[in-house]
Amino acid sequence: MADLKLVNIKKIYDKNVVSVQDFNLEIRDKEFLVLVGPSGCGKTTTLRMIAGLEEITEGDLFIGDKRVNDVPPKDRDIAMVFQNYALYPHMNVYNNMAFGLKLRKFKKDEIKKRVDNATKILGLEDLLSRKPKALSGGQRQRVALGRAIVRDAEVFLMDEPLSNLDAKLRVQMRAEIQKLHSRLQTTTIYVTHDQTEAMTMATRLVVMKDGLIQQVGAPKEVYDKPNNIFVGGFIGSPAMNFLNGKLEEDYFVMEATRVRVPEGKMKSLREQGYAGKTIVLGIRPEDVLEGPVVNDSPDTKIRASIEVSELMGAEIVLYSKVNNQDFVARVDSSCNVVAGETIDFAFNLEKAHFFDEESELRINTN
Amino acid sequence: MINQLRKIYPSLLVYKEGCDHLDRAYKWFVTDDNKIIGIREEELTCKDVALLVTFLNPYTTDLPVLTVEEQKWRKVIQMAELSPTSEFKLENPYRLIYFSFKENQISPILFKDAINELFAKQVSILWENGHEGIIIEEQMMYEECISYEQIIDVLMSDLYVKIKFFVGSFKEELKDINQHYQSLTKAAKTIFSYSNKTVVTYIDAVPYLLIDQTELEARLDISKTVLQDYINDEETLKMIEAFVQCNLNISETSKVLYMHRNSLQYRLDRFLEKTGIDVRQFHHAMAVYLALIARK
Ligand SMILES: Nc1ncnc2c1ncn2[C@@H]1O[C@H](COP(=O)(O)OP(=O)(O)O)[C@@H](O)[C@H]1O
Ligand SMILES: [Mg+2]
Repeated sequence: MADLKLVNIKKIYDKNVVSVQDFNLEIRDKEFLVLVGPSGCGKTTTLRMIAGLEEITEGDLFIGDKRVNDVPPKDRDIAMVFQNYALYPHMNVYNNMAFGLKLRKFKKDEIKKRVDNATKILGLEDLLSRKPKALSGGQRQRVALGRAIVRDAEVFLMDEPLSNLDAKLRVQMRAEIQKLHSRLQTTTIYVTHDQTEAMTMATRLVVMKDGLIQQVGAPKEVYDKPNNIFVGGFIGSPAMNFLNGKLEEDYFVMEATRVRVPEGKMKSLREQGYAGKTIVLGIRPEDVLEGPVVNDSPDTKIRASIEVSELMGAEIVLYSKVNNQDFVARVDSSCNVVAGETIDFAFNLEKAHFFDEESELRINTN
Repeated sequence: MINQLRKIYPSLLVYKEGCDHLDRAYKWFVTDDNKIIGIREEELTCKDVALLVTFLNPYTTDLPVLTVEEQKWRKVIQMAELSPTSEFKLENPYRLIYFSFKENQISPILFKDAINELFAKQVSILWENGHEGIIIEEQMMYEECISYEQIIDVLMSDLYVKIKFFVGSFKEELKDINQHYQSLTKAAKTIFSYSNKTVVTYIDAVPYLLIDQTELEARLDISKTVLQDYINDEETLKMIEAFVQCNLNISETSKVLYMHRNSLQYRLDRFLEKTGIDVRQFHHAMAVYLALIARK
């Protein structure tokens, strides 16, 4: 059993750099929790405070029921995998996995038992006597995971373990780590700056920016109901489009163009006092269609001048300008559009989000 | 000398190569000719110890015992000038690497065991104290190398300790090693007070070392004159620092900062308008970069 609790955690490095603050989070037993956000937002710092490698400036950290702020890292029952993972170049696979335990003076047969177990889990049986240089990238990565598994720890901490791998291997290892998690059920905290990785791996994700939590939730939840403009733009690829405009009568108006806001959403916006105000509309590229109408609803049409078109297989991504604002759409590849054309897009406004211009918070409209 | 000392302190022992541990009931010292001697603590008063350290180096019991190789290195480093008769023969180019980790986190013996597994040949480590020292790495042809960034991550996962490295450049001769050793150790301490990177090379450190040599007043003046109204604008300064670190590359910087490239361009333009400094040009960027270091 290992659930973790972070209460009002704050980290100030020397020279008064606040790098994490107001961090409150409960991590459930067996969860695969992903910390995601742009570089410098405090992910590594948070993970290392959990590991005990960085001191916690303020706040409390609990593993299980025990407050562990002052417990040294080696006594926290965690295992870690980092970005620049490497293996001992002169040891074979078996010894690479065994070495951490040897250093900790485990008995020989206990070491063997644990290494054998990890070997089986990772399918490394045929590689045990190989040296790292005789392994492929994927095999090395698996051995690195093996080195963590043999710890038999309550919690796995992983800091961008895949970011030095090429794209193909990264996708493969993502699946491998997930499989490992569903088999071992070890509570895992995983750090990445890559939103795709976060979305595909997490049972829950924590989106961070500038040392602050922006949103916590299941991937779908965060994708469907982003708390604010930042989360809306960060989660999802290509990123959500944001258009500035004004709510007039039943319409979202940008200079010469306007789209009709569906009734239910409009009612709720009006109730919250946004009628006549400037507001930010967010719409994902996949919620835009090439063509003048969507779902037979009236006035969903917007003119866009196409700047770049990228064929991605079944889909085509169109980079354009709408009312002088950057705009990206992802449409069916049967649509035949080339750069330089001006076309009509239809917005699926049922899927659109509205954000307060000032606070940048999402306005709840459903 | 040892015999004379033994007359005063009958418990005196000379450590023999190969023993794993030094008895903690003894206080240990290193003599000038690199012998490790121990005297039972109860035989020593504070005054005795004070007297003994005037001609002996205290030896921490937690530190691994010096290997023959390490003794040779220590001797050559301690010599103010290399004597022509020195029996030390250099086989490969070498470099000195300063390391430090948090005090009392792991035993130096453990650290040494782990470090040695990362290199083809046993490396020499000269400890300054229980958590700092110098690794002497000899350059090996054909060796499977792993980077110091990787070493940090490997040791962090095995030993649960965070390590910093300051990596010197390879040298082909022993001349001036004494001075090199001193200045490297000093530079390492300087650099880690400025930078939060965990692996810094001597080359990376050069701007910091130069700035650190200047008077406080000069530093203040440089940062005020260059940064002007932006001196407290953390956000812009962070942006410019990232821009320099990304080799003045707009797309890379915007990716790293998760900022739209247009807004990055716009802010750099604003900075130019207000200060007359165009950080897109190398020499301007360098001036701002130095001013940023001077401000720290
Ligand atoms: N040792 C340190 N000393 C001072 N500041 C640091 C140190 N480590 C990280 N920081 C700062 O803390 C912030 C968060 O860094 P980090 O946790 O590494 O972010 P991430 O992992 O999300 O990229 C950054 O602004 C970074 O510059
Ligand atoms: Mg990080």
